[in-house]
Amino acid sequence: MRLKISDVTMRYGKLTALQGVHSSADGGKVIAVLGPNASGKTTLLRTIAGLTTPSKGRVELDGVRVDKMTPHDRASKISWVPRIAEVSGAFTIRTVVELGRYAIGPSESRVTDALRQVELLDRSESLWHGASAGMRQRAAMARALAQRTPGGMLVLDEPSSALDMHHLKSMGEMLKQCASEGDIVIAALHDISFAMEIADAVIVLKEGRIVLDGQTNAVLTPSSLGGIYGVDLNWAVDEAGKRHLVIA
Amino acid sequence: MKIRTTATIVFLLLLLFAGIALRLLIARQVDGSITLAIPEQEFVLYRVVPLISALIVGAGLGVSGMGLQVLLRNSLASPWILGLSSGAGLGVMATMYFEHTYGATFVGSESGGAILGAVGTLSLVYILSRRRTGIDPMTMVLVGVVVSVLCGAGIMVLQHAVPMGLRGSFTTWLMGSLPEVESWWKLGTLGGATVFGIALISWWGPTLDAACLSDDEATSVGVNLPRIRTRLFLVSSILAAIGVMLAGPIAFVGLIAPHGARLFLGGSHRSLTIATAIMGACLLVFADDIRQIVDIGSGRLPIGIVTSVIGGVVFLGLLLRNRGRV
Repeated sequence: MRLKISDVTMRYGKLTALQGVHSSADGGKVIAVLGPNASGKTTLLRTIAGLTTPSKGRVELDGVRVDKMTPHDRASKISWVPRIAEVSGAFTIRTVVELGRYAIGPSESRVTDALRQVELLDRSESLWHGASAGMRQRAAMARALAQRTPGGMLVLDEPSSALDMHHLKSMGEMLKQCASEGDIVIAALHDISFAMEIADAVIVLKEGRIVLDGQTNAVLTPSSLGGIYGVDLNWAVDEAGKRHLVIA
Repeated sequence: MKIRTTATIVFLLLLLFAGIALRLLIARQVDGSITLAIPEQEFVLYRVVPLISALIVGAGLGVSGMGLQVLLRNSLASPWILGLSSGAGLGVMATMYFEHTYGATFVGSESGGAILGAVGTLSLVYILSRRRTGIDPMTMVLVGVVVSVLCGAGIMVLQHAVPMGLRGSFTTWLMGSLPEVESWWKLGTLGGATVFGIALISWWGPTLDAACLSDDEATSVGVNLPRIRTRLFLVSSILAAIGVMLAGPIAFVGLIAPHGARLFLGGSHRSLTIATAIMGACLLVFADDIRQIVDIGSGRLPIGIVTSVIGGVVFLGLLLRNRGRV
């Protein structure tokens, strides 16, 4: 599967959220989308997932425009994990995860597997409204896992913002696992260390434009990121000899 | 169907049958005493017609409310939030005004005026709430409130323009009442349309479940949001308009019946629709039972007053229960 983003511009009235964005990605990779607040990360991800139509340009998956796909086709190829999952009915966590199979047909085993992967199987009959932010984020991940077709695309908007260290680590492993099964995995992240840990490539946005795009190790350096975020960064080396970007 | 769902629907049906039996048997004597007896044949129709009307109006309003609560993502939404009641009221008032001023109603009767007002208001709300991507729920609530206020102003203008006697007739219509005499053709047509509308919404149940997610999430799992919202708006509005046509503005049934059903069944809309329809019918049948019993010295109370009293108390309870979330 190949994702191609061609000259995407998104305007909301006078506000330009994205300006002339070009990029591409192949299956089997985890791509982190980074950037300061209001740099256009969520808008880019929503455009990639076909949830909104760009003012100009196009996003194609294997040559098909994602915003022109039928709801069924889109649901079978693209799974979405929001930053904050919202449900307005009196549903259990299991029911919310089952909704991931709405268009592509029920599958008890896929739902159970997904709940097990995010460690919510024993809480699956709890009501959604009683769930913590972290549980909701894991449930949204489980819904995407239950929905995804291996070899498709998984789009995640800050999927780890409410997770503890244990679940952050297992989230990273799940994303890498999906990529190893041929998925294109694209996630907006604020945690640079986490991005360096899981991402094969990064796209860095600033004020709606791509300012860095390439292999993670080549792109993420103190000098390149420091200017974008407006902070002084340094390398720090941990006990295992791994390098981390830290604020100087 | 799960055991809990079946048990709930059987329980609600038994409750409904109890209410129906009570309505058929209950009688107020001339001295004011209440008796339970099989009615004489000549009086049977006067109990059966309001009973059938109560079933149609209660079930329809309940499911209409449920549909709008999903559409507007607001658990306190009801058919009246879209200006239906005030629109119908304006239609009735305009009918009375034209009859008084020009000697002609142009729409046949007060029912015709109510339907015209309700449909006109809903069409306006629909048109003004449409965006490029379909109906916007928040805009729809705001437009509904504004259109309600405008219709209310129109009613006051017309009330000012007609003689005092007509104002009394309008006030009576506003209280809502179940007809004791109605043509079988009309009851059959409206009843059939109500059953069809309820069946449609129940059929769409899985889509309604998925539409309870946020817009992005619902779209990402494959829901065609603009289409389901338009369908829900149309069917919910027609069900509520049928209620207005038969019984005038009956408040709170559309708000409370879905919540009552959810207490038993949770959020799955296929079975919830059926349970809500029975719950709505129960509410109206029991409200009609209560009005046969209660007499505050001025005869039987209009059913709209009974539902308002019951509904007001339950509504406050809901607000207090949900004050952290609403």
